[in-house]
Amino acid sequence: MNTDDINLAYKIRHALNDTLDELPASTTERLAAARALALSRKKAHAPVQQQQQRRPLFDLASVLSMPWVARAAAVAPLVAMVAGLVGVYQAQQEQHSADLADLDAAMLSDDLPLTAYTDHGFNAYLVQQQQSLQQPQRAQ
Amino acid sequence: MATDKELNDFLESVERRAFKQAAYAVRKDEAALDIVQDAMIKLAEKYGDKPAAELPMLFQRILQTTILDYFRREKVRNTWISLFGGLGRREDDDEDFDILNSYEAEEGSAAAESSADQVERAQTLSLIDDEIQKLPARQREAFLMRYWQDMDVAETAEAMGCSEGSVKTHCSRATHALAKALEAKGIKL
Repeated sequence: MNTDDINLAYKIRHALNDTLDELPASTTERLAAARALALSRKKAHAPVQQQQQRRPLFDLASVLSMPWVARAAAVAPLVAMVAGLVGVYQAQQEQHSADLADLDAAMLSDDLPLTAYTDHGFNAYLVQQQQSLQQPQRAQ
Repeated sequence: MATDKELNDFLESVERRAFKQAAYAVRKDEAALDIVQDAMIKLAEKYGDKPAAELPMLFQRILQTTILDYFRREKVRNTWISLFGGLGRREDDDEDFDILNSYEAEEGSAAAESSADQVERAQTLSLIDDEIQKLPARQREAFLMRYWQDMDVAETAEAMGCSEGSVKTHCSRATHALAKALEAKGIKL
């Protein structure tokens, strides 16, 4: 918009403002009544207590704004929990490795060759042997 | 947060302009008063705890929404009236709905008042009033918010729900249309 347009716009604005003074009394009274009604229904300020309740359990910004001792105290339980979880995981891994090593050692030191475990016929032989051992026990 | 006094002062400062703005849109003084009252109540009830600086923008948005709601209600009412009237008029699509096509100035209202008095100034003001009312709705909204309500381009765009470029285009077209119309009637401001 050029300067002439803007000048015209502001002249119209001036003229419109003049029309506001010529509103009938009944209209201005009605507007005042509407304003009073609106003010009577104004939203109350939110109480401070409610705002405090809405605070999150862990607010990083508030932790960072504390002095370093308080900051360390606030973070220490979190660090301890993470360290504990890592320790438990490590211990479980070691236990699992030890179990597997025992199993491997037992298999390797056994008189039976390793290829026997992959032979289906040997597996059937073991089952048959087990059944024949159980039958005399029942007969007695 | 706006205090009661701040809210009262704000509403007092905008109520007359809001009334005229609504009257330009709906062309009925009684309906315009109802719209302004509804907008004031909505502002106080829902945004009464907002800072005073945010009130002008919020009020404009509420006012525009309330005017639109009025047109929607009127459209539904007119549809039922035409149905029961047995005229069998077909329903128009929402998208084709044009405020200016649907409304005619109510006789006796300030909006349609003819410049009966002989005072030249009053005649000029009345003609300006008429020409503003003749503007397309979106152009009029943009023009009034921008130059009468002292809102900047960004605020006007937010209140109207359009881009800043659209606001500038609407304002420019409105100003040109007004300049042309006033010149045609021999009015020089």
